[in-house]
Amino acid sequence: MIGFDAILASFAAALHYESIVIILGGVLLGYVVGVIPGLNRAVAIAIAIPLTFYMSPYAAIAFLIGLSKGTAAGSAVSAILLNTPGEPSSAATCLDGYPMARDGKPRKALKVGLLASVIGDLLATLLLIVVVIPFASVALKFGPYELAAILIFALVFIAAMAGGSFLKGLAAGGMGIILGTVGLDPETGAARLTFGYAELMEGVPILPLVIGTLALAEMFVQLDEYRRNKGASVIKLSHDKADDLSYQEFKGTLPTILKSTGVGAFVGALPGLGPSVGAFMAYGLAKRSAKDPDSFGKGNPNGIAAAEASDNAVIPASYIPLFGLGIPGSVSAALLVGAFMIHGIQVGPLMLRDHPEMLFTLFSGMIVASLLMLAVGWYGLRIFARVTSVPPHIVIAVVIFLCLAGIQVQGYGTFGLITVFVFAIFGYFLKKFDYSFVTFLVAFIVTPMLEMNLRQSVILSGGEIGILLERPIALAFVILTVVMVLHLGWSSYRRRMQARFKARAGR
Amino acid sequence: MKMKLLTTAILSSAMAFGMAGAAQADEFPTKPLTLVVGFGAGGSTDIQARVLANVLEEELGQPVNVVNQPGAGGGVALARLANNTDEGYTFVFGTSMTITFGPLSTETTYQLDDFRYVAGVTLGQSAMVTGEDREFGDTWEGLIEYARENPGTSYATQTALDRMIIEYIARQEGLELRIVPTAGGAGMAPLILSGDVDFGYSGGTHSGYADSGEMPVLLSLAEDRLVAFPDAPTVQEAGYDLDTSDFRVVVVPKNTPDAHVERLAEALEAATQDERFIEITEERILMPVHFIGEEEATEMLHAQSESYRQLLKAMGGVPDDE
Repeated sequence: MIGFDAILASFAAALHYESIVIILGGVLLGYVVGVIPGLNRAVAIAIAIPLTFYMSPYAAIAFLIGLSKGTAAGSAVSAILLNTPGEPSSAATCLDGYPMARDGKPRKALKVGLLASVIGDLLATLLLIVVVIPFASVALKFGPYELAAILIFALVFIAAMAGGSFLKGLAAGGMGIILGTVGLDPETGAARLTFGYAELMEGVPILPLVIGTLALAEMFVQLDEYRRNKGASVIKLSHDKADDLSYQEFKGTLPTILKSTGVGAFVGALPGLGPSVGAFMAYGLAKRSAKDPDSFGKGNPNGIAAAEASDNAVIPASYIPLFGLGIPGSVSAALLVGAFMIHGIQVGPLMLRDHPEMLFTLFSGMIVASLLMLAVGWYGLRIFARVTSVPPHIVIAVVIFLCLAGIQVQGYGTFGLITVFVFAIFGYFLKKFDYSFVTFLVAFIVTPMLEMNLRQSVILSGGEIGILLERPIALAFVILTVVMVLHLGWSSYRRRMQARFKARAGR
Repeated sequence: MKMKLLTTAILSSAMAFGMAGAAQADEFPTKPLTLVVGFGAGGSTDIQARVLANVLEEELGQPVNVVNQPGAGGGVALARLANNTDEGYTFVFGTSMTITFGPLSTETTYQLDDFRYVAGVTLGQSAMVTGEDREFGDTWEGLIEYARENPGTSYATQTALDRMIIEYIARQEGLELRIVPTAGGAGMAPLILSGDVDFGYSGGTHSGYADSGEMPVLLSLAEDRLVAFPDAPTVQEAGYDLDTSDFRVVVVPKNTPDAHVERLAEALEAATQDERFIEITEERILMPVHFIGEEEATEMLHAQSESYRQLLKAMGGVPDDE
C-alpha cells in the first residue's frame, strides 16, 4: 500500500517548477478556450494531445487535466458577460450571471463564479482522491436498471426546474427526445428519422446542435436587439467599489457552493451525465430550496454559485469512474484514456497497482491546478473580461466565426454548417417564444443513454417489473422520481391556484 | 497599375497551381492527412489509430489528424469516405467486418467495391467473453450447458455481425437467449463485469483484463486461438462452421491514384515495423501486428464477404441487392 513517504514525494514532484509551468500552461489555455464560445473542451483536448506527445507521461496528463479544469472555470466569464456559455455546461451560469452583470455588477458576478469554481473544483478533487479506491467496488454493481432510473430522475428534475408554462416545457422536452432518437436503433440497427443522410446515422451531432441553439441563436437574438437598440450597453468591468465582492456577500453564497459541489460531485461520479446535467441540477436545487425562488434568473449570486460550483465539481468527480474502473464517463475522460495509452499507461484500477506513484502525483497536480485556476482567474479577471469592451458588432461577428470554425475543426464539414444554422434558427424561435431550451437540450442529451439503459433493462428482466424489488438503488430512484413528480405537480397547482385567487381578489 | 496587379495575381496563382500540381505528382503527401476512426474516442481502435497516426506522420512528413466518426459499427465513416474525392488525403482505419458484413446486413450507401484496401496491419482478436465467478465457470462448454438449462441466459451484443453469429450458435445448440444491445466495448464491459449480463461479444476490450483475469474468454472468434487467452477454443474447434476472423485495414476511396496508394502502403508497412506501433498493439491491446498487402487484403475481404453471404442465407436474411 502507499506509504506516507510516497504521497509526500508525489507532492514534491507536483510542486517542481517545471510541473507548475506545464500545469499553468494548461490552465491558461483552458481558461482562454473556456472564455471563447464555440471552442469547447473536447476540441481543445483533442488538439492538445499531439502537443503532449513530447512531454513526460505525468506532464502530459497534468497538462490535459489543467486544460480541462481551466475550461470549466473560464466558461463562466463569457456566460456572465456575453450571455453565451463558453462551454455548454455553463448555460446555467448565464441564467443569473448575465442579468447580474447587466445590472452593473459584472465584477461581483465574475468573482462569485470564480470562487465557486475553485471551491467546487478543489473539494471535488479531494473527494476524488478519497473515494476513488473504494468507489470501484460499489459502482461495479451499477447496472442498466440503476442507470435508467438515475437518468429518468435527472430528466424529471431538470424538466421540473425549467419553470414557465408547463405545456411549453413538455413541448420543448418532447422535441429534445425526438431529436435524441434520430439515428440507428440500438437493437435492430434500423435507421430512424435519418431521411437517407448517412451523417444522421450516428444521431444529430451534439456540437452543432449545442452551438446552434445556444451560441449562434443567441448571437441572432443579440443582433436583433442591437439593430433595434444601437446604443445597447456593453457590460464592462468598472472600478466602482460597490462592484467588488465583499466577504459578507461571499459568505452568503458559501452554503449554496457547498451544496452544489455535492450535487456536482455526485453527478460527475455517475458516468455519462456530464457537467451540464450537474450544473442544471444544482441550479434547480438552489432555486427550489431558496427562500426567494423568484429572484433566480434575475441576477441572484446564489444562482451563479450553484451552477459554477457544480459545473467545476463534475470535472474531477468524472475521473472517479475513469480511475476507479477505467471507464470514461465523459468525452474529455475518453480523450484522456487515449492520452494515457499513448504514454503507455493502462488507466483504471490497474493503475493503482502498477503505477501508484503516477496516480498520486497526478492527484497532487490536480490540487495545484485548482490553486493556479484561482490565481489565473483572479489576476486575469480584467484581461479575460476585456472581450466585452470590444463593440458588439465585432464580438458578434467574431463569435459567429468561432462557432463555425469550431464546427469545422471538429470535422463535421458542410453538413455541420447546415445543421448549426438550422438549429440557430430553431433556437432563435425557442428563445423568442420563450420555450425552455434547457429542457430541450437536456432531453436531447439524455435520451440516447436513457433509451439504451431502459431497453437493456426491459430485455434483461424479460419485461417483469418485479425485478426492481431486487435492485434497491434503482427502486429508490424510481420512488424518488414519483414522489418528486407528485410534489412538484401539487406545489405548482397550489401556486397557480393562489395566483388565481390573488388575481380575483385584486379585481 | 490595376492591370499590372491583376496580371501579377493571375501569373502568381497560375504558378502556385502549377507548382502544387507538379509537387503532388512527385511527392504525395503535400498537405496534412486525416485518419478517420469509425469508432468513439478511447476504444481500442481509437487508441491504436492515434499511435499509428503519429508513426505515419514521421513516415509521410505531414501531420496526420485523427478524427472520430462513430456510428453503425464503423459504417458511418465508410459511407462518408465513399463520397470523398481528395485522393488519399482522407483514409479510414477500421475493421474488415464493417466492410464485408455491413453492406450485407444493412442498407448501406457503400459496397465492398467502392474502396481500395491499402493494407491490413493487425489481426483481430474478437471473442465471446464473460466475467469472474460465474455459475457456469469460464469454459464455452460450461456456458452452453448452463444456457440450455436456463432459458433467458443473457448475451451482450455490439454489432449486427456478432448478433447473427450468436443467433446461429443459439439455433445450432438449441438455446433461448436474451440478446441485450450495448454501445461499444465501453458499454459492454460494465454489464459483463457487474454480472448483469452472463456473456457477451468483445472486439478487444477483454485484452485490458488479461492480467487481472476479470474478463475470461470463452471462445475465440479469430482464425487461431487468442494470443493472450490460449485456453479458449476457436469457433471452428467448438464445432461451428463459421469464418469470423477479422483484421484492421486502411481504406481509401476507389478513385485514389496508384501512386498515392503505394506511398501510403509503404508508410504502413514501415509502421508495422515501428516499435511504438508494435508496443501499443501487441502489449497494450494484445493483437498481433501483421502486414497484409493490398492484393491479399482485397482477396481476403472478398472471401469473407462471400462467407457472410452464405451465413446470412442460412439464417434466412439475404438482402436482394443484386
